[in-house]
Amino acid sequence: MSDSLIEKSGAAAVDLAKISGVTYADCRVVHQTEEQISVRNGATETLSRAESIGLGVRVLVDGCWGFASSAELTPESATELRDHAVEIARASGKLAGERVNLEPVRGVVASYRTPIVKNPFEIPLKEKLDFAGHLDALLRAQEGLNQTSVAMSFERERRFFFSSEGSKIDQEIFRSGAGMTAGIGGGHGNAVERSYPTSGGQYETAGYELLERLQLEAGIDKIAEEARALMQAPECPQKTCTLVLSGDLVSLQVHESIGHPLELDRVYGSERNFSGTSFATPDHLGKLRYGSELVNVSADPTAAGGLGSFAFDDEGMPAKNSPLIVNGLLVGYLTSRETAPRIGAVSNASMRAKSWAYLPLIRMTNIVLAPGDKTLKQMIAETDDGIYIQTPTTWSIDDRRENFQLGGEIGWLITGGKLGAVVKNPVYSGNTVEFWNSCDAIGTAAEYRIWGTPSCGKGQPGQTIATGQGTAPARFTNVKIGG
Amino acid sequence: MEKETLLKRLADASRASDGKQIELVYIEDRTALSRFAENVIHQNIEQADHRILARVSLGDRVGLAVGNAVEPEAITGTVQKATEIAENQNSDPDFPGFIASPVAPPAPSAYSSATAGFSADQRATAIKTAVEACSKAGLMASGLFKIETKTVAVVNSPGTAQYFAETAAEFSLTASDDTAAAAGWATGYQRDVDKLNATQVIDTAVQKAVASRNPRPYPPGEYTVILEPAAVGQLLLFLGFLGFGGGSFASGRSFMARQMGQLITGENITIIEDPFAPEMAGMPFDYEGVPKKRVVLIENGIAKGVVFDRLNAKKAGMESTGHALPPDNSFGPYPRNMAISAGTIPFKEVIATTREGVLITHFWYLNYLNPRRVQMTGTTLDGTFLIKDGKIAHPIINMRATPALLEMFGRVEAIADERIVYPQFNSVMLVPGMKITGFALGEDTDEG
Repeated sequence: MSDSLIEKSGAAAVDLAKISGVTYADCRVVHQTEEQISVRNGATETLSRAESIGLGVRVLVDGCWGFASSAELTPESATELRDHAVEIARASGKLAGERVNLEPVRGVVASYRTPIVKNPFEIPLKEKLDFAGHLDALLRAQEGLNQTSVAMSFERERRFFFSSEGSKIDQEIFRSGAGMTAGIGGGHGNAVERSYPTSGGQYETAGYELLERLQLEAGIDKIAEEARALMQAPECPQKTCTLVLSGDLVSLQVHESIGHPLELDRVYGSERNFSGTSFATPDHLGKLRYGSELVNVSADPTAAGGLGSFAFDDEGMPAKNSPLIVNGLLVGYLTSRETAPRIGAVSNASMRAKSWAYLPLIRMTNIVLAPGDKTLKQMIAETDDGIYIQTPTTWSIDDRRENFQLGGEIGWLITGGKLGAVVKNPVYSGNTVEFWNSCDAIGTAAEYRIWGTPSCGKGQPGQTIATGQGTAPARFTNVKIGG
Repeated sequence: MEKETLLKRLADASRASDGKQIELVYIEDRTALSRFAENVIHQNIEQADHRILARVSLGDRVGLAVGNAVEPEAITGTVQKATEIAENQNSDPDFPGFIASPVAPPAPSAYSSATAGFSADQRATAIKTAVEACSKAGLMASGLFKIETKTVAVVNSPGTAQYFAETAAEFSLTASDDTAAAAGWATGYQRDVDKLNATQVIDTAVQKAVASRNPRPYPPGEYTVILEPAAVGQLLLFLGFLGFGGGSFASGRSFMARQMGQLITGENITIIEDPFAPEMAGMPFDYEGVPKKRVVLIENGIAKGVVFDRLNAKKAGMESTGHALPPDNSFGPYPRNMAISAGTIPFKEVIATTREGVLITHFWYLNYLNPRRVQMTGTTLDGTFLIKDGKIAHPIINMRATPALLEMFGRVEAIADERIVYPQFNSVMLVPGMKITGFALGEDTDEG
């Protein structure tokens, strides 16, 4: 598809000269290319390439939204699509509340490309498949393993944004990642699994160089040994004790109990019937002790390599680092142009859509928990009675994002400052605010990493989107563990 | 695109020779959806896409390419990409090849022109009725009205040519007060929008919300619970994920592995994958073009069968039951139309015959807790009530639930005689309400 055709289609979609009552329009043309490679138990499971291109048009008519999307990309169909979106917006007007009134912003003309070293789509497919097969063979050569898998995926997203305010933005985002699992299945559901670098793999806005940086081969011995240990390990005991979490499990905790509850559309009830609401209502802003003094969290779509990094969101707003929690105090939310004025703020560029076909929603970008000053080793050494849990397996949190139960692949009981017996199915539970207020140590910058979540879900129709969480290991006191 | 035009276009593009085989899957999706929250339509969309999923096999090397352009030359281009991928592929001795399948029986009741033509204005009108009913009761309305139209065609070079068109209308309503401490939920789903009983959905959600005002805490413990049909459907979905797919069965991960013929639940539990049940009218073939079979999964508590696609059937020494998912899905075969056999007494009587128990409308955010025990974790939501002497005594604050599913289905004391059609995660299920003893409920979510 030529850039010229895309530009003409985008311009046609946001041309409001000949229609009345429409105060705003934007159009996204998105061209996604994705490659999936996976090898399981010695055989290729997936080897595929997928492409999708189309456009989505959003309009504001008398303060009400309408949206329509289509794979037909021509200036004529773009105009028809805009008119259809206008019809839909007029239907929304039958049940309108306070009319949406966007503060005008100056149109932006800009372009951005993820800084990459090696374009993953220029690496021969055979080379990538052979690498996955090589890793899987190394896993299968490990004693005891009978369920192995290696997966990698690469995504290029050319994303154009046009608005009736004059914006023309062209972004090219690359996402790459890989991971592997070492499993032992004993039948009757008696199975254990260890992953590397984390469950589901590690993903970043990066090129193929990420796979070299992940040093996947170096992780194999460790996860194989831990899978064997898990097979013999007892179930996690039930008790209340000190909890030390690995960075990737802190990432999940941040995602579920800080990122989601601070999406301002959710806070105002937009997901009440599906993805839930939030306890963190705006009356708490500037007042709620969300966490201990150590807890500093921001939303940062500018973070290098973060899976939720970009230059402009899907409303054309420039990416910026925004504080959410400062020294434990709630100070901000993830916002959009529509919601931000309700708390006296301006959008911090959190509106994103899965593809051209979907309506942008407020989504996490990179939610960053600032590192602290204690190493993981120190945290364990200072713990008399506790558990260290690594790598997410399960999560569930109530509809207001308070009462949660999360679990990891492996746990080690801590006694007298030393790691002891391995336990399987380690889970823990708590209440969001109590839990973050019990945080008494956060890992150092050297242990900090932005973990990628490739498919966070929200909205109807369901939209999975890539987010990042910057975290280091952390420690929490008086936590209930065990199922 | 018209059926004949589409099938001819796909047949033309799937012609192959020299040991090459081609399979083309066409999926066209149109979704029109109005979401509302706090009495206002806040998201109102219509989206349309069509995808071609081309699999090309060169002997036992298979490549998959996906595109969303459907002009003849674009389909040829997608086939060419799949061929290039196959050329880079390794041999897979388990690959069963593509075969010619007989044309599946038509499923005319799956498509309704009334549903396909249901407009944004009509959706808004239905939602307005819900908002007015909620407002009258001092409640706020949130939910969605969704119209889906889907066409699937599967054509391959050996000669398969399947076509299916379906529609679905779904109306879901949460009625809640300002703090959401009181909330009621109900949903309706029909192929034909004219059969959707929106009034019943509205009445149920409003009545539940009103009854759930001022919920009280209830101590953690193991209780007799009465699960409404939606709650049963949510748990059944996960039971299917964990056990009824031929992929997890062939690899030994399924709880059904090595248990065939054994009693794994109570004798009053029968679960059938039944795409031909008229209430569900499922797709009569799968994404490999194989006609679907009705598969008894559990009969009177005894493990009887799982569903297969062609690859996993070959691995397990079985035959495909016609349950392949789209080829870009690596989960393996899955039963998308499970039905639990109905019991003999009305749901109202299930409640009326309960001396003490907890009535659960549905669950929130279920996920696996302990796979070995087939155990889940989630919370109750939108109407949890204490039942005493056959009547609602008072609402209770939502609680965390951690049922181990096989053990739970071994303690079913009563099953209702009516079932609802319940859609979730691309499945449509037919499920009754039921009473279960010894159900673990943990700490409450303290929403008050």
